[in-house]
Amino acid sequence: MRTSLLETEQIESHLLRRAEPGDGLVFEARLLLDPELKDRVLWQQKTYNIIRQYGLDQLKQEIESVHQKLFNEARHYSFRQKIIRLFSKK
Amino acid sequence: MNEDKIIVKTAEDREKLFIALYKSVFPAVAKYVSKMGGTFDEARDIFQDALVIWYEKAASDGFVLHSDEKAYLFGISKNLWLKKHKHNTHYIPLDGFDAESEETAQASDNKILSFLQTTGKKCMDLLRSFYYDELPLNDIAETFGFSGVRSATVQKYKCLEKVRETVKEKSLTYEDFLA
Repeated sequence: MRTSLLETEQIESHLLRRAEPGDGLVFEARLLLDPELKDRVLWQQKTYNIIRQYGLDQLKQEIESVHQKLFNEARHYSFRQKIIRLFSKK
Repeated sequence: MNEDKIIVKTAEDREKLFIALYKSVFPAVAKYVSKMGGTFDEARDIFQDALVIWYEKAASDGFVLHSDEKAYLFGISKNLWLKKHKHNTHYIPLDGFDAESEETAQASDNKILSFLQTTGKKCMDLLRSFYYDELPLNDIAETFGFSGVRSATVQKYKCLEKVRETVKEKSLTYEDFLA
């Protein structure tokens, strides 16, 4: 892997707390000395948050599309009727 | 207790899983919500949120399922209903919460997300599999057509780096713009 990718991997180990104790100390020392590295760590943390939001949004869309299939496609008619009956008594 | 590992490598696998869970658990949830005086839409919203919570937990457990998964999913739904009900009757004001800057940050994140959805979908889907679905490396390598675990890992870091640069660049632009 090229150097920048290795650093990205080290940032990940640091953020996800997976670094070996010795490597972790070396990395933390570098963080104190290198403001640009610190900057990349912050943006990488934000990137994980964005990925999480992306995953969540996608998953919600997938679930909604399953709902649409179950409540619109002819082959799920009996399931649909079973649910609708529960709300039609009132 | 019986344990079963479910296969959720692809979007098709997830669709099958959600259809199965909908068919086996949603009737009980709908019945409960209806009994409590709720509507069909409320039952749907609660069940969909419960599925998300259930899925995230299953992903972090490596999709090893126990025999009482259905009862567990029903339990999450029931708790969500009770929580929602409690909040509707006792309104909790957002004291000391900086709603405005939170909103600006959210708007900026949404812009970044829609940018990434159109320009970097391939990378985002790969990163989602790693970090959100927490799928095993060899499954990811197979699904995305990499020669092996090693090349999938290298591609993951390449994508992470690329997205990190986009997030940085777009955050600075959007925050200036929205401020």
